[in-house]
Amino acid sequence: MTKPAVLAAVGVVVAVVAALSGCSTGSRVDLGDDSSSNLVAAIAGEPDQLDPQKTSAYFSFEVLENVFDTLVQPDANLEMQPALAESWEVSPDQLAWTFHLRRGVTFHDGSPFTADDVVYSYRRIIDQKLANADKFSAVTGVTAPDQSTVRITLKQPTPNLLTNLGGFKGVAIVSRRNVESGQIATHPVGTGPFVFASQKSGDSITLKANSAYWAGAPKVSGVTFRFISEPSTALSALQAGEIDWTDSIPPQRVASLKSDDSLTLAATPSNDYWYLALNEARPPWNDVRVRQAIGYAIDRDAIVQATSYGTAVANQLAIPKGNPWYTPYDGYRHDIENAKRLLAEAGVAPKTLDMLVTTEYPETVTAAQIIADNLAPLGITVNIRTVDFATWLDEQNNGHFDMLMMGWLGNIDPDDFYYAQHHTDGSSNAQKFSNREVDRLLDAGRVETNRNARGDDYAKAATLIADEASYIYLYNPSVIQAWSKRLSGYEARRDGAVRFSTATLTAGGAT
Amino acid sequence: MTAALTHPITRFIARRLLYSLVVLAGVLVAVFALVHLVPGDPVRIALGTRYSPEAYSALRSASGLDRPIVEQFFGYLASAFTGDLGVSFRNGDPVTVTLLERLPATVSLGVVGIFIAMVIALPAGIFSALREGRISDAIVRITSQFGVSIPDFWLGILLIALFATTLGWLPTSGYRPLLEDPAGWLRHIVLPALTVGLVAAAIMTRYVRSAVLEVASMGYVRTARSKGLPPRVVTFRHTVRNALVPVLTITGIQLATILGGVIVVEVVFAWPGLGRLVYNAVAARDYPVIQGAVLLIATLFLVINLIVDVLYAVVDPRIRLA
Repeated sequence: MTKPAVLAAVGVVVAVVAALSGCSTGSRVDLGDDSSSNLVAAIAGEPDQLDPQKTSAYFSFEVLENVFDTLVQPDANLEMQPALAESWEVSPDQLAWTFHLRRGVTFHDGSPFTADDVVYSYRRIIDQKLANADKFSAVTGVTAPDQSTVRITLKQPTPNLLTNLGGFKGVAIVSRRNVESGQIATHPVGTGPFVFASQKSGDSITLKANSAYWAGAPKVSGVTFRFISEPSTALSALQAGEIDWTDSIPPQRVASLKSDDSLTLAATPSNDYWYLALNEARPPWNDVRVRQAIGYAIDRDAIVQATSYGTAVANQLAIPKGNPWYTPYDGYRHDIENAKRLLAEAGVAPKTLDMLVTTEYPETVTAAQIIADNLAPLGITVNIRTVDFATWLDEQNNGHFDMLMMGWLGNIDPDDFYYAQHHTDGSSNAQKFSNREVDRLLDAGRVETNRNARGDDYAKAATLIADEASYIYLYNPSVIQAWSKRLSGYEARRDGAVRFSTATLTAGGAT
Repeated sequence: MTAALTHPITRFIARRLLYSLVVLAGVLVAVFALVHLVPGDPVRIALGTRYSPEAYSALRSASGLDRPIVEQFFGYLASAFTGDLGVSFRNGDPVTVTLLERLPATVSLGVVGIFIAMVIALPAGIFSALREGRISDAIVRITSQFGVSIPDFWLGILLIALFATTLGWLPTSGYRPLLEDPAGWLRHIVLPALTVGLVAAAIMTRYVRSAVLEVASMGYVRTARSKGLPPRVVTFRHTVRNALVPVLTITGIQLATILGGVIVVEVVFAWPGLGRLVYNAVAARDYPVIQGAVLLIATLFLVINLIVDVLYAVVDPRIRLA
């Protein structure tokens, strides 16, 4: 009796599995007639909300990149190109910019896009003091002289105004009706290539192609973003043909995937960077020699290997090679003797270092272990404090740390890289760095309209920031994405923006 | 009608529901205090690294977090009674709607998972107990020890690699609602339910085995055997039936645990259950979602406990509910 029962149990399970595999009606999301050209993308988490001006989550921007437009937008080389604005001119004194808007553009709800929408969108960011209000810190006025013209006046010349107005979808043009109905966070209405269709909590978001898109209708009928946070599951789903694209990829698999002919893998160096910052409000880290000693003691190559399996690129400054604002710098080589000498010169022998890292960004936890090992020869015991991100932000804000590791994402203009982080009055200067010359250079770079002179300002500022060890830069990660051979017309971008407006799916392949 | 109302089971359930309300109120006070005591500020997180004091105070007052905490609590309590659990800090979605959207996936996984666990654990545990000390008993015990020790994420990834990637029989991940797409629901639930089911089966097998052994050593079983009753009757009528009471308890606890959210399994299979919702809400300190979800999970616990208590009486009539 009992032995057959066990067998029966096993039999039931096997029979169910077998029966189910027989009734395969297609594992892709069923969207009706044209489901064969619906693109399924797996992102690593669920967007927190869909209001582009309010969210700060990358998962949200991956979706919203395809729903909203900005006045101008970065091309693949991160040069700003026309988008909702077709052309613009700048007044001789650099204090007034006039944008000529594209005509005949409509929002997804059918209402026309006009200059009033631009004014409303920017005023919302400025007046409600949203997180991106710093992009408008030099703006004194936004007006609409007529329905297809927008005038922006400035209190000082702002050479990076275009980047501020179009660098990412956080400054997207939104619909007033959508905002005022309270729908924008869950049912966003934009002017972009895809129309928001539906969201299944915890599961997916589906977009439909916008056939009236001003740059031409997308070639796929829609995009479904599935939330698959476990990278090995996302990769299995890609290999099984259930999804067409993903950026949720186990880094340790990147090397072997490069030689896998069944899919396309892109590992594009990004402008993001990871850094260490020492709390200069706490001795002995206020002494530049002590900070430099840490800079010499750490082994960047080991950190890159451990955090990214070698897919990232070690860097001693923020901006990577290949970027127009790149500055060569090689001041810190891994050199323990030099580090010991600097500590002796400073006359201090720190015994412990409280390092703040967060599980939200696992690379910080991994790197901390290498760094603890690196600093041991200096007689410093690193106390790694691993907390969740909410606590991390609190501790950073209150200055409760000796050293922290964090990343800065989505950077295009050097003002994005340096001002908030290293200016004495910078809003993200948690390490309390203050250097008069750096302040002067960063202020000058903000208003310098000559490209070469501006480049010199930032090169000098960057070098000083590294010399003075405001940040100890570590590496630039790569944007890692993989997609099926069915998908073409898509490119992985350095700024991590995911755009499916020109993507094409060939028939067949996946079931 | 009056007969129905005075029936012991009806009275029992009515009384238990009343207690449940008291328990829920306690849970609510505890969770409200807890989320506000834990360090971490929802407004700070929402702003991420792009923080400014102006943006901070603007968002803080927009979320109602600048009101006194007692006022916040009673405001919450009043609307919770009407079924309105507030709106998420993150996207303004009504919490009640979000929870109801997640509930079917969680209940599906719990029910199918516990079914798989029972189908395996009951026969295996009874078999093992009846063959105590023999090789076959050792095999079951070693296997279940193995099952208890296996990390569930590893088991899940293994099942995906075998049944989805290699054999292509089942989808790797995702969920379909039962009512919209029954076949899709079944295809998608097999692997995650197998993962939670196998782990729960390993735990439950050990409980079933020890429960049966304990009953088997009782005097009345010896008496039954010495009366010359056939072994089959002794085993099932005297031993197993009485062993079911502790087994029911552990089944209820296992089911409640799965319903409370099996985060790891939900993450591996991209399953839209309550576990991941709570995890993300805690990470973002999304107080209304945390509170609502804890309230819902506490309710599920109470309901399962109630069902288990009623089932005791069905299995063992000696147990009085009154």
